[in-house]
Amino acid sequence: MKKNKISPRTISALKDFICVVPALIFLAVFTYYPICKLVQISFTDWNLLNDRWNYVGLKNWIWLFHGSGTKHLLNSLRVTVLYSIGELTITLVGGMILALVFNRMSRSFSLMRAIVFMPKYVAMSSAAVIYLWILNTDTGILNYLLRAVGLPAVDWLGNRHTALISVLMLTGWRAIGYGMMIYLSAMIGIPRDYYEAAALDGATSAQKFWKITLPMLSPTTLFLFVTTFISSMKVFQSVDILTSGGPYRSTEVFVYKIYLYAMEDFRMDRASVIAIAFFILLLVVTASTFKISNKNVHYDS
Amino acid sequence: MKKMLAVTLAAAMTAGLLAGCSGGGSTGGGAAKAPETTAAQETTAAAAGGEKTDETKAEAAAPAADASKYEVTEPITIQWWHALEDQYSQTVQDVVDGFNSSQDLITVEPVYVGNYAAVNEALVAAHAAGTGLPAITVANTPYVAEYGAGGLTEDLTPYIEATGFEIDDFGKGLVDATSYEDKQVALPFLISTQVMYYNKDIADELGVTIPEKFDDMDQFLEAVSVVNNGTTERYGTIIPGWDQWYFETFYLNKDVKIINDDRISTDLDSEAATGLVNKFKEWCDKGYIYWANGEDASSIMRQNFIDKKAFSVCHTSSLYNTYVDKCDFEVGMSWLPAGDTKNQEIGGCVLLIPSKNDQATKNAAWQFLSYLCSKEVNMKWAKETGYIPTRNSVLHTDEGVKFLEEKPAFQCIFDNLDLINPRIQHPGWSQLATIWKNYMAEMMIEDVDIPSKIEDMTEEINEVLEDS
Repeated sequence: MKKNKISPRTISALKDFICVVPALIFLAVFTYYPICKLVQISFTDWNLLNDRWNYVGLKNWIWLFHGSGTKHLLNSLRVTVLYSIGELTITLVGGMILALVFNRMSRSFSLMRAIVFMPKYVAMSSAAVIYLWILNTDTGILNYLLRAVGLPAVDWLGNRHTALISVLMLTGWRAIGYGMMIYLSAMIGIPRDYYEAAALDGATSAQKFWKITLPMLSPTTLFLFVTTFISSMKVFQSVDILTSGGPYRSTEVFVYKIYLYAMEDFRMDRASVIAIAFFILLLVVTASTFKISNKNVHYDS
Repeated sequence: MKKMLAVTLAAAMTAGLLAGCSGGGSTGGGAAKAPETTAAQETTAAAAGGEKTDETKAEAAAPAADASKYEVTEPITIQWWHALEDQYSQTVQDVVDGFNSSQDLITVEPVYVGNYAAVNEALVAAHAAGTGLPAITVANTPYVAEYGAGGLTEDLTPYIEATGFEIDDFGKGLVDATSYEDKQVALPFLISTQVMYYNKDIADELGVTIPEKFDDMDQFLEAVSVVNNGTTERYGTIIPGWDQWYFETFYLNKDVKIINDDRISTDLDSEAATGLVNKFKEWCDKGYIYWANGEDASSIMRQNFIDKKAFSVCHTSSLYNTYVDKCDFEVGMSWLPAGDTKNQEIGGCVLLIPSKNDQATKNAAWQFLSYLCSKEVNMKWAKETGYIPTRNSVLHTDEGVKFLEEKPAFQCIFDNLDLINPRIQHPGWSQLATIWKNYMAEMMIEDVDIPSKIEDMTEEINEVLEDS
């Protein structure tokens, strides 16, 4: 008679599975369930206040893609993408430049690195309030300096052409040190052999940078790009404190728009369709990034 | 193993989807747990009649409202959410201490939540979650309709009837402003209105007064503004563009309804409304007025007035004490220039009790609410801030005379109290206001084609009103 025995491999797999069950439950409750709920709300007329709602079919989706919502969606998309490009540039390019400048292992450079990285420790809300003062048209230190060199004062937060730049000044100030530290740690990990071999071949510093440093940093660049892109697309706090989406919607980024619809206009239904559209956009861009990066990222191994 | 994980994940997602989809339906689903029947609802049901149980029949036979239902019998600690900033902290503490020491059962903890928007955010989130609600909270006046329609607020009518609260001592405008569909969903607390603060020293020097009529503003602004070679050295006035409340009065007094009687369209593209936009724009272009917009607009506006870079500012009467304290000149206060009518609107905040609290909490909250809205406490606020006394029994008695002796600038408000009206109530008002003030700021500050902007604005507002 054949003995029905569970193989040790299956038992091991089962143990592994049991170990991940709590994480799966956590994900289901706190991630997938809210996403499902969001999809459900997008087909209703829920206003956040009422205990009851009615299903309205595709009405909210039609409003978003074929109604007055389209204009606001495109505006938020434009503002958010512009902001993301700005933050990515500051973090990647600025971080890389600072990493190259501060790549010296001495006590004084260590102190300078700490100073550059320090803004990351400051809470965004506190930093934003300080920036409100710095950027104040009449009493701000930035305009004071401009006047001192004979330039006219700028209405940094009240002008549609400078408001987004003002928000980027704040986030850039906080993000650049982070980019520097990540790049620095990656630079230290590049084997010295490559540089020594290149030096023997007569490579210049620029050639070493373009042919060794930059390719070897590509996994780090990919990591920074993806994490900064996702976080920059979700920017909220700095916009909320500095501009409240203004002037006239010129800094109305996606998350702030969702917040406005849900919490100020009591239109949870409209907020949910924008949130889903935003979620899909993030998913697509992140997946595309990974797909494209497969060919361009060089791992040492 | 991979397959097993995938199946489990899919099952978890499906379960979530099913759970998510089970609450709704065209007949309505529960977004949050509905509150249990409250004493107020029971009393209302008893008073309303209809099909009754034996118990409610017995209640109906009893006096219309039973005060014992609203008594506090056990010690309880309750939270009061407010938006009163640091300059009012001593008054808040004095008032709370006064209440806590006046009885033994209720302890009130005041909690500063932030500005009105922050209070709204926290309150709505707590209401949707059905937990973490305060026993009593302030709310900005425009939210009354939306909160009332959404069932966030407890109907205070039975409490008022049962405890004999003197609701008639408030002016009709105040009672209407805190009602929704004939239910008293809140009570007036710190009430203000729009006024024009001006530099009385310069006014006396130039021999000018704030014009009574909007149509006389041209001459007035020309007289008080100082513009040299296109650069403004002193603005005639500053309009707070960050909140449409400050300029909507000008529209209403020019017979612009803002929301038409059909409730689904606006007349902000009417001839009168367009005329106002053009007039404001003309003054902005001439450098006579400054359209204050942006996050720091309020502080910039105040500083300009304090620094004598603006002759006058339109602002809330609640800031009277602040202006007087900060300015080194005599501050005058005037009613806004009128159109065909000279009505104004209520500002400030009301007090309400969230409906999802348990009855014991509501009863304690009602006692504190009654105390906060009492004549004595109201007068304390009026004296120590710029808020208006709200009680008729104060306004028309010796107390009112005494108040005016201390603050003679308030005469302009006392003279026109009956003209302070409730805010426009519409479920889409908040969206309308956001669209309106954004377009107004753009038209005033930027060089844009005004007719096309008005057309875009009207189209957007109409869509919001139709869908609200």
